[in-house]
Amino acid sequence: MTLERYLRNQDAISDAEQEILAQKCVLVVGCGGLGGYVIECLARIGVGHMRVVDNDVFDESNLNRQLLSSSMNLGRPKTLAARQRAMAINPLVEIEAYQTNFTAENAPELVAGCDIAIDALDNIPSRLLLQQAAKTAGIPLVHGAVAGWMGRVSVIQPGDDLFSQLYPAQTEIQGEEMERGALSFTVSLTASFQAAETVKLLLGKPSLTGELLEIDILHSIVKKIKIT
Amino acid sequence: MIKVNTEDHPWYSGMTVRNLLDEKVYTFRHIIVRVNGEYVPEEGFDEFAIQDGDDVIVLHLMAGG
Repeated sequence: MTLERYLRNQDAISDAEQEILAQKCVLVVGCGGLGGYVIECLARIGVGHMRVVDNDVFDESNLNRQLLSSSMNLGRPKTLAARQRAMAINPLVEIEAYQTNFTAENAPELVAGCDIAIDALDNIPSRLLLQQAAKTAGIPLVHGAVAGWMGRVSVIQPGDDLFSQLYPAQTEIQGEEMERGALSFTVSLTASFQAAETVKLLLGKPSLTGELLEIDILHSIVKKIKIT
Repeated sequence: MIKVNTEDHPWYSGMTVRNLLDEKVYTFRHIIVRVNGEYVPEEGFDEFAIQDGDDVIVLHLMAGG
């Protein structure tokens, strides 16, 4: 029998699929712009277990786009806000919050037991670490990135190395977002695609594997690019 | 004719990566270019000649979260 809180997930998601989601664990690395919206979506849809990782605290510059930030929690840990928000939305969801950076040292422990990892990071070196950790653990990684009016989403299977194509120089730490900022709708739309890809993967539906979803909100274009 | 991000784009003899980027008016400072899967570093944009039928991928360097 479907819980009332999930009634409006039907019939897009069947009872059996809802039960599958309740059994799954998702690692969300980064609880800022993308991570905040991803956690919101996954808590509402009923993913049973989330492990959220971030070492940052909110500051005023986050308020333009980060769902979990408010004037009331400036200076407070993002993981704490993520945990409180997810628990308030859906107490059926178990949330583990790790107030730490994602590092080579803690990566194996953080990834262990998760079905999928989500890249909601804000820098290239940590992304490379996460891709390697997901590959070692044998789980898919759902990538998301934003800059200004543009966003990008893809699914990286354990055998793939998308980041060598997106970040070939491996010398950059940041991308264009340093000059172009990040807008609320770019972040929320990109994160929504990430959450959707995550749910599709968890339910065994076709996903964006081998393709980039390029989102250009300024020109109202969403385009898939095949990448090998 | 060449492919640029999976879409057809007119080609002409002597076209370089730089010519293509200028035509497409990409405004981002950081651009990643691959031609037939081969990464073309930025210092090679002026010289790298695109051939008829090439498959070109042009991506913005994005890492914000």
